Amino acid sequence: MSDAASIRALGIDAGSTTMKMVGVDAEGALVWHALEEMDPRIEAQAERLLDVVRADGCPDSLPLIATGYGRRLITRADRKVTEITCHARGVHRELGHGGTLIDIGGQDSKVIVVSEEGKVVNFSMNDKCAAGTGRFLEVVSGRLRMPMDAFADTALAADGEVGISSTCTVFAESEMISLLAHGAPVERIVRGLHRSLVQRVSALARGAGLRPPVMLSGGVARSRAIRTLLAETLRQEIVLPRHPQLMGAYGAALLALGA
Amino acid sequence: MTLGLAKYQHLAVSFLGRGALRYERLRQEAKLKRKGSWKSERFAPPLSTSPRLKELISLHYLKGRTADERGPVAWVTSGAPVEFLVALGYYVLYPENHGAVCGIRRVSEKISVHAEDAGYSRDLCSYARTDIGAALSGETPVGRLPRPDLLVACTNICQTVLLWYQVLAAHFRVPLVIIDTPFLYGEATERDIDFVRKQIEEAVAVAERVAGRSLSESRLMQVTRRSKEATELWLKVMETGKAKPAPITAFDEFIHMAPIVEMRGEQFTVDYYRAMLQELEARVRQGSGAVLRERKRLIWDNLPIWPRVRWLSEKLADRGVSLVASTYTNAWGELADLVDPEHPLESAAKVYLHPILNRGTGHKLATMEKMVRDYQADGVILHSDRSCKPYSIGQMDQRERLGTAAGVPALLLEADHNDPRSFSEEQAASRLAAFFEVLEA
Amino acid sequence: MAPPNPPLVPRRDEVIRRHRSSGGRLAAVLPIHYSRAVFRAHRMLPVEVWGPPGIDTSPGDAHLQSYTCGIVRSSLAFVLSGGLDVADIIVVPHGCDSLQGLGSVLLDFAKPRQPVATLYVPRGPRSASVVFLAEELRALSRRLSEISGIEPTLDELRQAIAREESADRALADLLDARPHLPFADADFYRVARAREYLPAEDFEPLARAMLAERVAAKRPGIPVVLSGLVPEPMNFLGAVADAGGVIVGDDLACLGRRRYAPGRSDDPWKHLAESLLDAPPDSTRGSSTADRLAWIEKLATDSGAKAVVFYLVKFCEPELFYLPQLRQGLEERGLKSVVIETDIAESLSHQAVTRLEALLESVS
Repeated sequence: MSDAASIRALGIDAGSTTMKMVGVDAEGALVWHALEEMDPRIEAQAERLLDVVRADGCPDSLPLIATGYGRRLITRADRKVTEITCHARGVHRELGHGGTLIDIGGQDSKVIVVSEEGKVVNFSMNDKCAAGTGRFLEVVSGRLRMPMDAFADTALAADGEVGISSTCTVFAESEMISLLAHGAPVERIVRGLHRSLVQRVSALARGAGLRPPVMLSGGVARSRAIRTLLAETLRQEIVLPRHPQLMGAYGAALLALGA
Repeated sequence: MTLGLAKYQHLAVSFLGRGALRYERLRQEAKLKRKGSWKSERFAPPLSTSPRLKELISLHYLKGRTADERGPVAWVTSGAPVEFLVALGYYVLYPENHGAVCGIRRVSEKISVHAEDAGYSRDLCSYARTDIGAALSGETPVGRLPRPDLLVACTNICQTVLLWYQVLAAHFRVPLVIIDTPFLYGEATERDIDFVRKQIEEAVAVAERVAGRSLSESRLMQVTRRSKEATELWLKVMETGKAKPAPITAFDEFIHMAPIVEMRGEQFTVDYYRAMLQELEARVRQGSGAVLRERKRLIWDNLPIWPRVRWLSEKLADRGVSLVASTYTNAWGELADLVDPEHPLESAAKVYLHPILNRGTGHKLATMEKMVRDYQADGVILHSDRSCKPYSIGQMDQRERLGTAAGVPALLLEADHNDPRSFSEEQAASRLAAFFEVLEA
Repeated sequence: MAPPNPPLVPRRDEVIRRHRSSGGRLAAVLPIHYSRAVFRAHRMLPVEVWGPPGIDTSPGDAHLQSYTCGIVRSSLAFVLSGGLDVADIIVVPHGCDSLQGLGSVLLDFAKPRQPVATLYVPRGPRSASVVFLAEELRALSRRLSEISGIEPTLDELRQAIAREESADRALADLLDARPHLPFADADFYRVARAREYLPAEDFEPLARAMLAERVAAKRPGIPVVLSGLVPEPMNFLGAVADAGGVIVGDDLACLGRRRYAPGRSDDPWKHLAESLLDAPPDSTRGSSTADRLAWIEKLATDSGAKAVVFYLVKFCEPELFYLPQLRQGLEERGLKSVVIETDIAESLSHQAVTRLEALLESVS
């Protein structure tokens, strides 16, 4: 990217499945980004991304803030800030308003209520269980041997839905197998599984004191099926930022800029 | 609502509602009498008293819809002394019972979600979540729940109710009476009984103040007499299950227990159980069992799995297994002897200290062992109830002792009394299948 | 200026050994409310068992379902693996359904080497409770006599009470002075929680030594009230510090909720009962939501706290019931809060730290 020269601050989001780096210019516009699968050597990966941005022409020794699951390991960062604050800041700047941000990540899901000024009003996170996270979809799609994209399309194409009563990942998996054994159509089961995740996340959102509009970030936001069902369940339109996966890193960069 | 309108509604409920329910009962009774109308390969036809039960319960909730417009209303825990409230003219609502109704009608999850959305954890008792969800949202399958003027929580079933009712007290802003019954690790002491007696006296004073009337001793004695009579009849009803084959199962009792829990002290409850007992005794004489082709007999421990009562009863009946008794339904009968209508308050202190849930884990084991003997049971299912700690803690040892010392096969079945999300049909089915194999080996 | 060194706290096992070698008896006591003076009058040292954290809970798996509170599961595992063999008696106060179950399972099934006694602490404020609890304490004392061989005179009991009340005052002073004591939270809790096992006369000088370091300025950092049961695993306190927080108010079951004031009656048994029953509002005694809210708000106001951290042990029903109304009430009073649930047998999760940090970021 050629805009790297205009970068004035950087943000790194070391998530559980991917690492994101974002550069912003003096006005806080997102001018550069990179996204990679997570490398278990987090610090080395961060260094490598820094090398890449410098090679693109980014000035040296810019302010840097780290966020995400692996933020503590990034010693180069000037500060470490939670995903909660960063996501709120990033998405508020991107969309220009407050609301309820739902971030369904690989490891955990968060709901952040953001004020009109971009401040965190309240937040909630899923409990230890994997049921309300992207991991749930990974487990069940893996079990059905379906790639994630096809998984979402299958759900949307279904002409009906089979209710999955268990919200526990393990229970839901056994319920799914039993439904298949009883001849229930796969598409309907897949839609039911999506619904199950959406219901869990919706409960989290209502618990945090939902205020519209609902904004979505994180990797799972790319799933059309999740977006559609979430809109249906919450009876709210879903607003999506341009780069849902980058909002944490973007917020970190904005904080680093002091914007 | 103005008084005139309230009266009008009450009349409408009394005459139209009652009439409709009575008509429905007569229709059901007639249907039951028609020969060949019952087609089941698993179960005997329902008792002819069943339509009356439905009428009683529906009428109870029908009255409840407008009860707060007419007189004092108390929400009470299932183990609370209720006789003085009935004698004072309270309409008494049992949130636990209402929770069970929601469970059976499969709306408990939907209603609990209102409480969960408000921040009540899914690790909390599923009755409490259903009740708080109903209080917050107004949602209920029975039309409408009357607003309480008084809350009475008795700790003889759990400490959960203590906390749950604090939530209700803060929500409704009404007085809460706590009757604290010290847990009996062993036998009750004089100080336990004395402590509970004093509290019941204090509770009476609060209830009088809230109701704006004073308790008539003769009325209290009458209510207590009826309560005792109904309790004795209920015990006899359950004891018909000792016959082989058993004319009634614990699954039936889960449904038929509603009047003894929430309409104790009423004459119609006494009449109802008397009629039921007669019919069951006739079935014993005819040798007809509730489960056709009864082959094995089991005891149930803990609350029912309300959303799955039917599924489970069919699963068992398919294998010729009859659930002949349960520690849960037994709890509303076993203390009949302790009730003394001549000394209603004094005896209440003793009665309400002694429910099985207020006694040690060893006592529960002894109760189960006795039931196994008395009912000639082949095994025990212990429902490990995720959101009911006091009933469930101790079950792992109880199962072990039943199995090793008494040689009684026992199964620990993981579920929840009111939250279908904590239940896996597949897992339960495979555990039951393995257990049946053990029973038949 | 570097913070002063915290007073040296004798280790639990040292204290036990010393007490043992001087011929004293030992009682292992589970949470939450009981009277230390009753034990001391029997020349018995009560040592509290809150888990302990971080141990292997599997020895108890044959007795307790996995959905039982971690403190109870760890305690049973500890008993069964010989961790309490040093004690002459195990005492289980009745604090909740899970502790009730533990007491009952110990008495009826798990049957440890040493005798087990229980204590019922009544719920709901009323005059009859004092009479009942006084009788319960007397019954506990009779039970202790069977082991100690001592029947304490009323005077001996009064002396023991006086020593405990003096230590209680020192503890209360520590809690009040918290914002002005220049010690890290981990050090503060190490001293304050030594009350759980030290004899009163050894605890008091420690507390006074810490109080002597009081400074006029408040500790720097984002001030918070800590509510919940017990600050375990201890590295949670380090996480608070790392996130820029300082704990200035305590509403923990193991500490702030046991800020006992002396009883009023002359009769020592009633005096003890009053002291326990008048303790700050508490979930395990079923206090009203309004009382608990007022208490936590007062803690926050007195200490200048900006937020409340509810630090809970998973499956703790008594705590969970209050949260929605408490948090809403605090919010209305301008106090943000967060709920962090942990399992004391496990290490602090990443998510727990994130929750904590996010709260502090939102009030800073």
